[in-house]
Amino acid sequence: MAAINHPFGAAGRRILFPAPVGRINWWVVAAIVVVGVSATLPVLQNSTATDDGFAIQRARAEQVRLNGEIRQLESDVARLTSLARIQRRALDLGLSPASSPYFVTVDEPGPAPAKLPAEYLPRTASETGSPEPWWQSLIEWLPLPD
Amino acid sequence: MAQQRVQGTRRVWVPAAFFFAFTLVIAARLVQVQVIEHKAYAERAATELKSGETRLARRGAILDRNGNVLATSVDTWDIYVSPRSWQDPVNALQAADALARLLANDIAQPKVDASQLRAQVGAGGTGDVLIARDVSYETGRLILGSSITGVTGIVNSARIHPEGDTGASVLGIIGQENSGLAGIEAQYNSVLQGKPGKAIFERDTTGDPIPFGEHVVTDPQPGKDIVLTIDRYIQRQAEYWLEKGIKDHRAKGGAIIVMDPRNGEILALASSPGLKYSTLDLSDAAQGDLLRNRTVTDLYEPGSVMKVITAAAAIDAGVVSPGTTYVDTGIAYIYDIPIKNWDDSVYGTQTMTGVLQHSINTGAIFMVEKLGQKAFHSYLDAFGFGRPTGIDLNGESTGIIRRPTDDDWSPVDLATQSFGQSISVTPLQMLSAVAATINGGRLIKPRLARAFVGPDGVREEVRPEIVGEPISETASATIRQMLYDVVNPEGRTYPGAPVNYTAGGKSGTANVPIPNGYDDRQVASFIGFAPADAPQILVLVKLDENNDLMTGTQAASPIFAKLADDVLAYLNVRPDSARYVSR
Repeated sequence: MAAINHPFGAAGRRILFPAPVGRINWWVVAAIVVVGVSATLPVLQNSTATDDGFAIQRARAEQVRLNGEIRQLESDVARLTSLARIQRRALDLGLSPASSPYFVTVDEPGPAPAKLPAEYLPRTASETGSPEPWWQSLIEWLPLPD
Repeated sequence: MAQQRVQGTRRVWVPAAFFFAFTLVIAARLVQVQVIEHKAYAERAATELKSGETRLARRGAILDRNGNVLATSVDTWDIYVSPRSWQDPVNALQAADALARLLANDIAQPKVDASQLRAQVGAGGTGDVLIARDVSYETGRLILGSSITGVTGIVNSARIHPEGDTGASVLGIIGQENSGLAGIEAQYNSVLQGKPGKAIFERDTTGDPIPFGEHVVTDPQPGKDIVLTIDRYIQRQAEYWLEKGIKDHRAKGGAIIVMDPRNGEILALASSPGLKYSTLDLSDAAQGDLLRNRTVTDLYEPGSVMKVITAAAAIDAGVVSPGTTYVDTGIAYIYDIPIKNWDDSVYGTQTMTGVLQHSINTGAIFMVEKLGQKAFHSYLDAFGFGRPTGIDLNGESTGIIRRPTDDDWSPVDLATQSFGQSISVTPLQMLSAVAATINGGRLIKPRLARAFVGPDGVREEVRPEIVGEPISETASATIRQMLYDVVNPEGRTYPGAPVNYTAGGKSGTANVPIPNGYDDRQVASFIGFAPADAPQILVLVKLDENNDLMTGTQAASPIFAKLADDVLAYLNVRPDSARYVSR
C-alpha cells in the first residue's frame, strides 16, 4: 500500500470540526448563514444601487425635459400675449384704432391687471411700505377718542 | 500518543517556495502600483473613469415695466452626426432622408436635403459633425426620439424676442456663447447669465455615470430677470412714429426718447438706423454698426433746444425774468463778428418768453452775456453736459463743450453755445438736462433697469438717483410756464400742441458741423413735455438730415403731439385739454 503523506497531520488526528452525528450543530449553521448573507448582501446592494442609478438617470432626463417644456410654454405664452398678436386678433375681430376718442370719467375700477407672475408685476403701494407692527392692532381695541 | 511532527519534503517546499516568490512579486508590484506610483495611476484612472459636463445656467429674461417678456431663453438642440455610423451607404441614405425630413419641421432652420446632409457628413472628418445649431426644442426631441442612425443632440439655448423687432436696439444681442454683445444683454450680462454648473462623475464603459460612484455636482445658478423701465407699447409707438417721421421728411435717421421726468425712467428709446432681429446678419460687417445705440453714442449740435438751458440758467441766476425785455435788431456783433437770427427776422422789443417763442438767437446771446462765461459754463456742468449721464447702456459718449482753456476758443463760441452751437451732446444728455429744467430742478440719472428678479422670486428695485440740483424749484416752474407759452402762442396754433393734453416744449434746427463751418445738412428736433402743470412724459424727437429741410417745429413737433396724446391716454392720464367729458 502506498504511503499517504499527510503534511499537516497524521491520519486519525482529531479534526477541528467533528462530523455531524445525528444532531445539527447550530453554530455551524449560523456561521454558514452569516457567511451566506455577507456574500449575498453586497450583490443585492449592488443590484439595488444599479436600479437606483438608472432611476436617477431617468429622473434627471425627465427633469431636463420638463424644464425644457416649461421654458417652451413660457415662450409660447409670451408670443401669444405679444402686441403684434393682440393687434392681429383685434383686426380679426373687426376692431380698429380709435381715431377721435372722447374721455369719460367713471367711478369704476379699471380693467383687471394682466395675468403675469406676481414677481414681475410692479409693486403696489401696500407691498412696498413696511408692514404694520403687531402691537399696532392692539391699539385699535383701546377705547381711544378718534 | 505523541503527535507526529510534519516532515517537509522537496515536493512540498519547492511549490511553496515558488508560490511564496510569486506572492512576493505580486506584492511588490502592488506596492509599486498602489503606493509608489499611486498618484500617477490615480490620475490616469480618474482621466479614464471620470467625466465632466458643464451645465448651462438659464439666462434671465428681460421684461418690460409691466412684466411683459421682451427677451427670454428657450432650450434648443445642436444636432450632430457620427460619420462612422454613416459609412454604410444604405444606412446613410435612410438616415439622411429621415433627418432632412424632420429638420424641415423647424421653420427657423435653413432648408437642407438628404444629399446635402450626406455630403456635409462625408466632408466632416472623423469627429461628430455639427449638422444644425439651435434646432427648436420640439423638432430636436422628434429627431432624437426617432433613433436615426448616428444622430445625437446636445442641449443648447436660444434667445427669443416675442415682441419681434420692438426695442431691439435697447435689448441688444447675445453671441453663440450666450454672452451679451450689445444693449441690455451686454450691460447686464453678469446679472442675466447666472453661473454655469458642473457635474463630475465616474462613468462606465458606455459613458453612463456609475451609480454611487464619485459624483460631484455644482448646480447651475440661473440668472436674474431684469424688469426694464421700457413700456413695450410706448416703445412700439415711438418706433412707429420715428419710422413714419423719417419716411415723411426723407430723413437719414433719427431718434425718439420718452422719459418720465419725475424719476429718470426711460419709457421708450427708439433710434434709426438701429438693430433689427428680423434682418440681422452679423456676417455683414456693415451691420456691426447697428449694434450701437445712437441715442447715447452719437453726438449732435442741439441748436435752439439749448435755449431752454440758457434761459433756465439765466432765470435761476436771477439775471433775467420771463418778462425782462431787450431790443432785437436781428443781428448781434461779437468782436465784430455778426450773428444773425435763424430766419433773418428782426423781432424788435421782446421778452425772454418771446425769445423762446420765436427762438431768437440774439435773445439767447443777451441772456448769456448777462450771465457771463464762467456762470454759464458752470450751469452747463451742473446740467450734466460734457460727461456721460450714467445710463445703463454701453458706449455712452461724454459730449463736447468748447471752453476758454481750449486752444481754438473764441468769445463767439460762448455766444453760439447759448443757442446750441459749438457744443455737442447726445440726445439723452439733452433730454436729461431739459428734464431737470421742468421737474423741479433735479438732475436725475436716466435708467433702463427698474428691478431685478432673482430665481427665488426676490425682487430688488432700482431707485432713482438724483445727480444734482442745477436750478431751483421756482426757476423750474418758471421755465415750465415759458415752455408752455412756446407751445401755446396767442393767436396761432402750434403744430406741436397735443389735442387732449396741455404741453410745453422747444424746437431746434441745427446745421451739421463740418471742419471750419457748417454744411446744408440739418438736424430737426423737438423736446416737449405733457401735461404742462405736472409733466408725466418728456419726449425728444430728432430727425437727422431731413431732405425736405423743414424745421424742428414743422417736422419734429407734430410727432411729439401725436405721441403725447397716444402715450398719456395709454397711461390713463386724465386729459386736461380739449374734449373732456365728466359726469
